[in-house]
Amino acid sequence: MVNRKIQPLLTPIDNIDFIEPLVYDITKEVKLFFMKEVPNETCRIDLYFDAGNIRSEKGIPSFVNALLLSGTKELTATQISNQIDALGGFLDSGLSAENAVFSLYCLRENVLKLMQFIVHSMDNVMFHEGEVAELLADKKQSFLTNMEKVSYICQREFQQKLFNSSEIYSKVANESYYENVTQHELKKFFHDHYQNGLTKVVVVGDLAQDEIDDLIDTVGKWAKIGETTFERTIKNLPGVFHIDKPNAVQTAIRVGKILFNKKHEDYNDFLVLNTIFGDYFGSRLMANIREDKGYTYGIGSMVAEYNNIGYFLIATEVGKEVKEATITEIQNEINRLKTELVEPEELALVKNYLLGQLLKSADGPYSMTDLFLSAEAQGLDLEFYNKAIHDLNAITPERIKELAVKYLNWDEMSVVSAG
Amino acid sequence: MIEFEKFKLENGLTVLFHKDITTPMAVVNTLYDVGARDENEDKTGFAHLFEHLMFGGSINIPDFDAPLQNAGGENNAFTSNDITNYYDVLPANNLETALWLESDRMLSLAFTPKSLEVQRSVVIEEFKQRYLNQPYGDVWLELRPLAYTKHPYKWATIGKELKHIEDATMEDVKAFFNKYYIPSNAILCVAGNFELDYVKNVVEKWYGSIPSAIKPPRILPVEPEQESYREKTIERDVPTNAFYYTFKMPERRDPAYYIADVLSDALGREKSSRLFVSLKKEKQIVSNISAYITGSLDHGLLVISGKLNQGKTFEELDVALWNVLNEMKQNAISDEELDRLMIKIRTEKAFSEQGLLNRAMNLCSFELLGDANGINEEKEIYDAIEPNHIQEMAKSILIKTNCSLLKVKATKDGK
Repeated sequence: MVNRKIQPLLTPIDNIDFIEPLVYDITKEVKLFFMKEVPNETCRIDLYFDAGNIRSEKGIPSFVNALLLSGTKELTATQISNQIDALGGFLDSGLSAENAVFSLYCLRENVLKLMQFIVHSMDNVMFHEGEVAELLADKKQSFLTNMEKVSYICQREFQQKLFNSSEIYSKVANESYYENVTQHELKKFFHDHYQNGLTKVVVVGDLAQDEIDDLIDTVGKWAKIGETTFERTIKNLPGVFHIDKPNAVQTAIRVGKILFNKKHEDYNDFLVLNTIFGDYFGSRLMANIREDKGYTYGIGSMVAEYNNIGYFLIATEVGKEVKEATITEIQNEINRLKTELVEPEELALVKNYLLGQLLKSADGPYSMTDLFLSAEAQGLDLEFYNKAIHDLNAITPERIKELAVKYLNWDEMSVVSAG
Repeated sequence: MIEFEKFKLENGLTVLFHKDITTPMAVVNTLYDVGARDENEDKTGFAHLFEHLMFGGSINIPDFDAPLQNAGGENNAFTSNDITNYYDVLPANNLETALWLESDRMLSLAFTPKSLEVQRSVVIEEFKQRYLNQPYGDVWLELRPLAYTKHPYKWATIGKELKHIEDATMEDVKAFFNKYYIPSNAILCVAGNFELDYVKNVVEKWYGSIPSAIKPPRILPVEPEQESYREKTIERDVPTNAFYYTFKMPERRDPAYYIADVLSDALGREKSSRLFVSLKKEKQIVSNISAYITGSLDHGLLVISGKLNQGKTFEELDVALWNVLNEMKQNAISDEELDRLMIKIRTEKAFSEQGLLNRAMNLCSFELLGDANGINEEKEIYDAIEPNHIQEMAKSILIKTNCSLLKVKATKDGK
C-alpha cells in the first residue's frame, strides 16, 4: 500500500536549454531575430516600432496604431480585412509606453503573401476622415466604459503618481483626447515613427532562408536610423491617494514605487523576494489576504520593466468595507519580510517553483523566443538566465531580509485606491 | 494528428496518455463530468464554489498548492455550466507529485470548516469583481433566464445570487463530493515525454485504490422548444446602449453544431464578417458587434452582441440586423467566403494544438463527448460543410420565434 502522507521524491532541475534565435542585421541598429525550430506549420512575425505612447503628448500613438490597416487610395479597410482573412492571418497589436508591436500569426504557406500585402497596405495608409472619426468615437466610448471600472480608474491615477517626475510617462487618456485630432498629426506620426521607426523584427516559424531575405526586403525600408533612447530616471510621488467612485461594491488598490529592471545588480534576488511576497498562488499576500481572510478574489505583486527602469507594484480589488484592513495587512506582510528571516522551507519552495517556471518559459519555440526578447529588450543576452539560476541557488534568508529593508519602505510608496 | 493511448482502471477511471518527446514539462489534466447544470435550482453556484474547496486540503495532504510548487509546478481550474476541469503543469521528472495530489483529492477532501468559510467569501468577492462591479458585468445573469425557461443553463456558473453561496453548508459540500468526485465520473489525461508502461504503472499506483462508485445518471429538465420571441430591457448606469440577441442552436454532439459554429463566424467573427461590415462599417449603427456560440454540451446559444453608436436606436439596429440575417437565409454564401472562414478555423486549430496543456484539455473534452479521437476528426467535419448547409442552418435557427433579445439601456447615455 502506497504511503499517501509522503510526497514522492523530487528531482531537482539541473539543466535548462536556452535556445538562441539566429540574428540578422537589417541595419547596424535594427536586427531580425529568427527562431526556426518550430515543429509545425505555424508562424509568427513581430514588427517593433519606436511608436510608443511617450512619443506624443496626446493620444496620437494609440490612434495611429489602430489605424494602420484602415485603408489606402485603392483599398478600403474592409477590403484589407477581407484579404488578410482570406489568407488566414490573425493580427495583434500591442502598445506600451516605450514601443508599439504589430504581430501576425498565420500558417507559413501564407506568411510572405500576408506580409507583403500588410506592409503595402500600411505604407500607403491614407487616414481617411471617415475611418478616423469612427475610431475616435469607438475609443471615446470604450474610454467612458473603462472609467466605470475601479481597476481602470485606480491604475490611471497610479500611473500619474508613479511616473510623477516625467510628464510624458505619466500621461493618461482623458475625454479631450478624442477631439481635435488632425489628419496631419496622424500622418506625421506615422511617417516619423513607423515608416522611419522599425526597431526590431522577430520571426518564429520554420521558414527558409530566402523567405527571411524576402521579409527583410519587404520591411527593411522602415528601419529606424540612429539610436533609440528612453528615460533613465523617474521618481514616483509617495503618499496616499483616493479616487471616489460612488456605488462601487469593491475598491481597487495599487501600491508601488519606481524600481529597476534586469540590468540592476539586485534584480535577480529581488525577484525571489517579490515571489515570496506576492507573485505566486502560495505567496504571503495570497495566503493572508485571500486564503486566510477572504477579502479578495486575488492579490499580487510584480516587477514591471521598461528599457531602462522598472517599477514594483501591488494590485488587488477588495470588498469596499475591508479596504483599510487590506492595506494594513499589506504593511504587516512587508514588515514581516523586513524583520523576520524567511524559513528555509519557504525559500526552498520558492526556488523550486521559480526554476520550474523558468523551465516552462524556455519550453517550445514561442515561449523561448519571448524569454529571449525579454532580456534582449534591456540589452542582455541568454547568459542573463544562466546567471539567474546561479543567483537563485545562492540566495539566503539574510539576503531576502536585506533587500526588503532596502527597497520596501512604505514611506516611498505611492498608495492609490479607487472605489 | 494528435496521438494518444487510452486505458481504464478497475474503479472506472478513464485515462488518456499523450506522448510529446519535445517538452521537458508534463501536464496532468482532470475533467470531472459535473458543472453548474447539475445543481439544484435553490443551491446554484455550487459546482464552482466546490472547485475552490478542492484546493483546501485533501484527506492525507493538508495543502494542495505547496507540494506542487515545491515540484516546480503550477495549477489552476475552471468550472463551466457543463464541466469542472483541473490542471497541473510541472517538470516531467516530478510527474508523480501531481498524481499524488490529484489522486488524494479524488479519494477524499479534508472538509475543514475554515476552508468552507474562507472560500465562501473569496467566491463572493469573485462574484462582485466579475459580475457586479463591472459595467455590463451582470448581463449573463439576466440573459440566461431569458433564453432558458427550464434547462439549468438558465443560471450562470457563479450562481443566481450571492445568497446561494452564503447559505452553502458542509453537508452540501460532502454530498456533492460523494456524488460527483468519483473515478467513474472523471477523465484523466497525462501528457509529456513518458513511456506508456510507466504511465500505466504510476496511475495505477496512485489511483488504483480509490473506491469505485456508480457514475451518477444525469436527468436534466428539458428546455421546451421556444415558440415565441422574447425581449427584455434593463437599465444600467453605463455609458452606452448594448444588445444581446441569442438563438438556440444544436447540442455539442450533433454534427450540425459545427455548421452553427461556421454560421456564427460568417456573421460576426472578423472584421470581414457580414454584421461587422454592414452594421459598423457601412451603416455605422454600432461601435462594435460580434457573433459567437456558447459551446455548450446541451442546446447552446448563438449570440450576437455589441454596442450602439451614440444617437442610434435599438429599432434601427433591429431592422438592419434582421436584414443581414435574412440575406443569410435567402442566398447561400459563396465558396470564396466559405474558404475564408475555413482557413481561419484551420489556422486557429494549428496554433491551439501547439500547447501541451491545450492538447491534454481537448483530449479530455472529446473523450467526454464519447471519444478522444474526435480531436482528430474535427477537420473532416469542417471540410464537409458546404454553403447550402450554412444557409439551411440559418433558416432553421435565425428566426424570430427562436430569438431572445436583451437590451441594456444606458442611463448615462448622452452625458
